[in-house]
Amino acid sequence: MPIGIVTDIQRFSLHDGPGIRTTVFLKGCMMRCVWCHNPETIAPGPQLLFYPNKCIGCGECLAACPQGNHHFVHMDDTNPAAPEYGHATKHAFSRASCTVRGACVKRCPSSALQMAGRRMEIADVMAEVLEDRMFYRENGGVTLSGGEPLMQPEFALDILRACKREGLHTAIETTLCYPWSRIRPLLGELDLIMFDIKLADAENHRRHTGVSNRLLFENLDHLNQCGRPLIARTPLIAGINDNENEIMPIARALGRLDNLLYYEFLPYHPLGTGKYEALGCATPAFHAPSRQTLRQLAGTVRAQAPNIKIHINGKPEENYEIQHTTGPLA
Amino acid sequence: MKYSTQLARLRERKLAQTRAKLDRLGTQDEDDYGNILPPPDFAWQPPKTDGGGTFQGARAWAAVFRSLMEHHPVYIDADDALAGRWMFMLSRMRPQYRLDRAPFPFDYSHLEDEQRLYDITSGIGADAHFAPDYHIGLQLGWGGLKQKVRASLEKHAGDAEAVELLEAEIEIIEGVQNWIERTAAAGEEMARMETDPTRRENLAAMAAINRRLVVQPPSTLCEACQWLAWFNMASRTYNRDGAGGQLDELLRPYYEHDLAEGMIDDDDALYYIACLLLNDPHYYQIGGPDKTGRDQTTAISHLILEAAHLLKLSCNITIRVHDGLDEKLFRRGIDILFSDQLGYPRFSGDKALVAGFMKNGFDAGLARERIAVGCNWMSLPGREYTLNDVVKINIAKVFEVAFWEMLDNADAHSVENLFSLFSTHLRHAIHCTARGIDFHLAHQYKNEPELLLNLLCHGPIERGRDASHGGVDFYNMCIDGAGLATVADSFAALEQRIEDESRLGWQALAEALRKNFDTPDGEKIRLLLSGSDRFGRGLSRGDKWAARITNLFAASVKAEPAPVGRNLLPGWFSWADTVRFGKTVGATPNGRRAGAPISHGANPHPGFRKDGALTAIVKAVADVQPGYGNTAPLQLEVDPCSSHSPDAKIIVGNLIKTHFDLGGTLININIIDAEKIRDAHKHPEKYPDLVVRVTGFTAYFASLSKEFRQLVVDRIIQEQVC
Repeated sequence: MPIGIVTDIQRFSLHDGPGIRTTVFLKGCMMRCVWCHNPETIAPGPQLLFYPNKCIGCGECLAACPQGNHHFVHMDDTNPAAPEYGHATKHAFSRASCTVRGACVKRCPSSALQMAGRRMEIADVMAEVLEDRMFYRENGGVTLSGGEPLMQPEFALDILRACKREGLHTAIETTLCYPWSRIRPLLGELDLIMFDIKLADAENHRRHTGVSNRLLFENLDHLNQCGRPLIARTPLIAGINDNENEIMPIARALGRLDNLLYYEFLPYHPLGTGKYEALGCATPAFHAPSRQTLRQLAGTVRAQAPNIKIHINGKPEENYEIQHTTGPLA
Repeated sequence: MKYSTQLARLRERKLAQTRAKLDRLGTQDEDDYGNILPPPDFAWQPPKTDGGGTFQGARAWAAVFRSLMEHHPVYIDADDALAGRWMFMLSRMRPQYRLDRAPFPFDYSHLEDEQRLYDITSGIGADAHFAPDYHIGLQLGWGGLKQKVRASLEKHAGDAEAVELLEAEIEIIEGVQNWIERTAAAGEEMARMETDPTRRENLAAMAAINRRLVVQPPSTLCEACQWLAWFNMASRTYNRDGAGGQLDELLRPYYEHDLAEGMIDDDDALYYIACLLLNDPHYYQIGGPDKTGRDQTTAISHLILEAAHLLKLSCNITIRVHDGLDEKLFRRGIDILFSDQLGYPRFSGDKALVAGFMKNGFDAGLARERIAVGCNWMSLPGREYTLNDVVKINIAKVFEVAFWEMLDNADAHSVENLFSLFSTHLRHAIHCTARGIDFHLAHQYKNEPELLLNLLCHGPIERGRDASHGGVDFYNMCIDGAGLATVADSFAALEQRIEDESRLGWQALAEALRKNFDTPDGEKIRLLLSGSDRFGRGLSRGDKWAARITNLFAASVKAEPAPVGRNLLPGWFSWADTVRFGKTVGATPNGRRAGAPISHGANPHPGFRKDGALTAIVKAVADVQPGYGNTAPLQLEVDPCSSHSPDAKIIVGNLIKTHFDLGGTLININIIDAEKIRDAHKHPEKYPDLVVRVTGFTAYFASLSKEFRQLVVDRIIQEQVC
């Protein structure tokens, strides 16, 4: 039975394809997008997330960790001797020597220590996916996302096959930066393909994502012939790709696709910043483009490819003003 | 809309009346009920009866009620289509009245030890909570009802019980007629004094209608609404009865007649219905199948929804969702839920209600006639006595008894042993409750007969027997459990943390619970427990335990011996009692602190899941239906990212229909703006017209106690729905 590494399975997912969906986030991505808001999905293996502000200082992790990677030190760091439990202490974690076995996570009662990534069998994934099957109805279903689901191609294929056996609508979110030979086997099991185009300029793409975009643009022609409905998306980050030089060539390429349902702008949001800290990394600082820039870029797309429908954050562009001015209240 | 000025003024006056109630009476964790304060100079004392300071039995209740009717202040608003407001609740004017424990002059001390032990709300002495058949009154009018009672009195001249009851019924009718007649006279006088021609005309019309309704049955839509309002006000005054009926079908003949005759247009109809809804937030069903399964939605069903929408006040309308429901009514209901954000309409699920009720041995036709007319409940209008929503077992308390019995006495501490003890105690609690119901049924007619509801039932007048004492055909008695998630999560936590993971020992847990987690490692233990695999997450230990407890509860209720004619129906519901029940229960193994509220109805405890909570809760509550035709409602607070989003409405519609496809029975739903609710919690005075569906009922948020406002805030599911 193939085993994959799953970062999370999200029920009631409304932004990863049509209708009510369950999104299976497969762990691992070959890109290193500097703005990534899901940094815990990048590394292929499980990772430890540490949220010091949730720690109640109970000391369970000290006993659990065979390498002794958890320590309690006095708040002022003046007394190096191990302080007693319950006193004013600070939880220090030696990430460098951590082997991510997760014993401490299992013991932590306050969720200060969490694991990103769990090994799952297809049956486990499907049990969770089928919990919401009654909600999928006509257009909802299952979406494979990442990371990059094509990092675990066999596992991804097995999930999709299992979904199709259950008669579920299936979708994938991918960067398309793989040889077509890796993508093609999945096509028969997919009802919808969503792909990201982050930057058009080859050098910029390599600089900001660490990967070439050559395969992506090559694969667009293949995709156009596969007959599947497509959705293209661009995360828009101020100062990185919110300019005509990047968006114009993307729009031109997309304009040649016969099966494109729409092209979606995803303005940057900072929701992932807390996770950088929990992974022990520096938090990147980026911003979303202004609304005026979004409007201009939508105009750029329309000028290049008048046949393309534009969405912003999951909604048709014309509804975006209402959404934006009302604001997300949840 | 021809009447928008009048409705706007009526709405303002209603909000002022609500503020006045809050100022005089303080916060109330109940329905708005529609009553207003009496004039400050009004004084009335109940006439002396045989009861020595209280009143009991048909004769005494009738005398006191008639006196109150004859003195009741008259209320007429020249902007209103309907006259009258009610101001007193007779059943609460008796000494020693408590909401959870009605006065009862018969000794049931033989049950009280167990009632206390298991924190049972016995329902002994409780009143109303079954449904009238308004058709009877609409056909006969007060005059016809009196004739019917008189004819029965002659027939039962030798039957003392019948004679006392029927003579009392005549007193009741004459009391109501007096109130209506005085109102008509006052209306005539006000019309004479009024200088504004529109208002004068309205007052004169109102007076003429009420003059007729003293004796005659209604013949127009406006008269029918006025008749319903009088019955509602009288019945509220008698004993808080708030059950409505299938309002669209009740009003349809009058609406169609008036329309065909060119007497009214839809604006007139909207105005009359809005005034009826303003008069009192009774529980009405619209749409849904008739007894043959055909959808009952008509033009007037839509008008009822629109009338609520025009009014934008506390309102309890339920749309019965079934396969044949007019999709436009369903969609418009969701539109209004989103646009008004006042908790109406609610939705009930025909499929599971019908299938469940049929499991008691009834046919599908009868099951379809059992409609949504109460806070959490269904009833057969005019044919069934139920004690719905007034009989409850606090199963968190039952769990506590079992837990400490095991910890204090048994050597073998295990989750299975605990479940076995819990099963035993739950059966004891159910048995005690069933005996209480039998005791109530044996004596209630001598305590507080249902003198108003009897009039609109099939049987009590004909047989000369109170509805609680053989007057109606069906006795489907409610037993609701409360605290499901508290108990399911407690079992799940014990199984996970003690038995599967060995993270905790029984004695360490017991010590932490005894000290309410106030020990050196108390918070660690509490977080360990509250972070366990809870009910509502999906495929969790808590889900498994909730299903097991539901099966146990339903099977134990149905296994109770049924004395002749009496049938028990299990449900999960806590009404507004989550706070009161919580106060009697110490710290529990789900990490809940002593005295904190128990879980709400069939809902998981708030915070049961971080993401995907909406589909998870919709499925979780569908999976714990006791399944015999009484409900385990889903209480849902949703904050969509935009109340204008068409997608959000489609998704909420999907959630509602899927809940019913999965076996759900009733959804009480608030589409709300979380920021606004949180601000209103801090500054209730800033939001006098904010209405929320607290549980089955809606209430003005500002009229709720702080504790209750907090519960509503805690329930909000933080999930974008667009």
